[in-house]
Amino acid sequence: MKDKFSTYSQAQLTRRSLMQGMSAIAGLAAFGAAGRAAAQDMPLVKAYGVPTAALKDWAPMEKSIGVRCELSGASNDVGVFMRDVMGANMGDSVDLFIFESGTEDILGPQGLYAPLDEKHPELTLWERTSDDWKRSAVVQDTEGNQWGVPVIGNADSFGYFPEKLGLAPDSEEELSWSLMFEDENTRGRVAYGNAYTYSMGPAALYLQAKGAAQIGNVADMTPEEAKVVADFLIERKKAGQFRTLYGAFEEQIQLLTNKEVDVINCWEPAVREANLVLGPDATRYAYTKEGYFKWGHGAYIAAQAVDRGNLDAIYKVLNYFLSGEYRALQARDRGYAGPNMDLGVEYAEANGWTAEEVAALKATEAKVNKKFAKPYVSTTTPNNASAMEEEWQRFLNA
Amino acid sequence: MKVAVWLIVLAWFVLVIVPIIVLFAFSFFTTEQFRTVYTPTTTTWVELFSSGRWEVTLRTLRIAMTVTLIELAVGFPFALWLAKGRVGKVGRAVCLAMLTIPFFLDVSSRTIVWRAILGQSGLVNTVLMGLGLTDAPLDWLLYSEVAVLFGMVVTLFPPMVMPIYLAISLIDDTLLEASNDLGASPWQTLSRVIIPLSLPGVMAGIVFSLGPALAAWVEPGMLGGGFVNLISNSIESAYSALRYPVVAALSAFVILLLLLMLGAMYLIARRFGDPASSFRVLRG
Repeated sequence: MKDKFSTYSQAQLTRRSLMQGMSAIAGLAAFGAAGRAAAQDMPLVKAYGVPTAALKDWAPMEKSIGVRCELSGASNDVGVFMRDVMGANMGDSVDLFIFESGTEDILGPQGLYAPLDEKHPELTLWERTSDDWKRSAVVQDTEGNQWGVPVIGNADSFGYFPEKLGLAPDSEEELSWSLMFEDENTRGRVAYGNAYTYSMGPAALYLQAKGAAQIGNVADMTPEEAKVVADFLIERKKAGQFRTLYGAFEEQIQLLTNKEVDVINCWEPAVREANLVLGPDATRYAYTKEGYFKWGHGAYIAAQAVDRGNLDAIYKVLNYFLSGEYRALQARDRGYAGPNMDLGVEYAEANGWTAEEVAALKATEAKVNKKFAKPYVSTTTPNNASAMEEEWQRFLNA
Repeated sequence: MKVAVWLIVLAWFVLVIVPIIVLFAFSFFTTEQFRTVYTPTTTTWVELFSSGRWEVTLRTLRIAMTVTLIELAVGFPFALWLAKGRVGKVGRAVCLAMLTIPFFLDVSSRTIVWRAILGQSGLVNTVLMGLGLTDAPLDWLLYSEVAVLFGMVVTLFPPMVMPIYLAISLIDDTLLEASNDLGASPWQTLSRVIIPLSLPGVMAGIVFSLGPALAAWVEPGMLGGGFVNLISNSIESAYSALRYPVVAALSAFVILLLLLMLGAMYLIARRFGDPASSFRVLRG
């Protein structure tokens, strides 16, 4: 998810990783200079995309698969990214594109991404990757064509104060989104994100689950569906349900740490940051009954790369994104979840990681398994973006 | 000399007017599948009005003008006191420094502080409840139009005061003495001498306050809690859906409104005196 008030995305933020992201890029550059001599003979895969997919240090990958990867960082702005790919013909020089879900719906059918060859001999881990990840809308277009490989992701819900809601601090009970939208006990104590891309979906999900609306695709609502959701939200806004409609990640943290609200739909790192101030488990990140705002980054092959003769190396890198080593390193260094968390745990155990690190990986695996089976996968490029945005403005102006 | 003027006009045209024309032209296109369709149509403008989105411009205008009027009401006496009042050299230097320093700080960081002060468990509410003046925290202190107005008045105070201060301090003291000697009351000196001579400063102050107030983004975002949707927020939202024509139409609409207002302001200012008169003082 993109942050309105900032230039970084949610993924880059995990674990205060803005700095880490920077150092990852710096590390890449440094590697480019220092490691070149040693890695000169290795095949090279050039990637372009959000820097979150990069390892802090690519050396383990080079050692494991014998391929170098150079990733040049893109902006998190989907418009800028698509313009780069479409207008600047980046596929002429770049092999892999890595971006948040949505670009494949447009750039795939337009022929700028190459379809994923699921039977490619180097893509050995594809078969065992769960459908929750590999068949997700992050890497498939609306027709179900496969354009990419899932890299990282998370399932977003809401943060809450267990004490204020009368719940045990360690409760893993699945809560309803009604706490956000309709609960009398939380009225006037809710913060709701003010971007339609992030906040409209969960409201639609809730309405659908309680049978108040029929919505075909929560991530891409028709004008009529969007109107139903906006009407509901306007009614709730007038009833005083929302204390504030916030705009930025910093606000999420502030609203929680100031105890200005009891419930907020937010990024998971906000809850973590708040607990650093308020104490462990003062706030919790909800498991929900209805579902989650699931987001993810995928890796897609540039159409031009197919004829460049390094397809084997490209598929090796894609396969590496599905591997336990990549999973474990990303989870440890940046706190990301992704496909095949179980392989990550295996890798950590086999490589002598501390019990604490292994336990953290296992906890992430359990969380991901519990959450990812539920709807819905978000997209940065809904077909009905204009209608959804227009209806959302109606809600904001009401 | 003439060549220089034409060069400036040309540069101005290329750098300022052409982009505005392009912007205006863009408002007559539409967006489909995140791509701009370059077929001229009035769809975007029609939708702007049929969906009620244009109302955001009226709200923005109302709030921006309210802020500017408050600024003027508070800023003019303050500037007068600072320029002609009995303020020592040190006092004046301190005041000027306090007016200037905020320019160097980011608006977001200056504004976000108010949330901790005005929030339900913030300083103001804690004090009010501690003194027993209220039983429950006042929730309209934050995330309300009042909070937005307050934040904007604070932010835009220096841009209003500085030009007025400069204009008033340029007024020769002998003119004020002459007015006094000729038997004018303080009110007459103010209305017949000071106000007419400070008009360029007042005009500049209004422009410097009104412009940013119309484009305010940080204060409504941070202090309005999403309940005070202004034009910049609306534009930002349209931009997030890559709806450039909507962005262009909203922006063009504001520019049109701004031109109308500046024109009206000029006409009003003319009733008080020649807005350019102070420059004669400058020329000595």
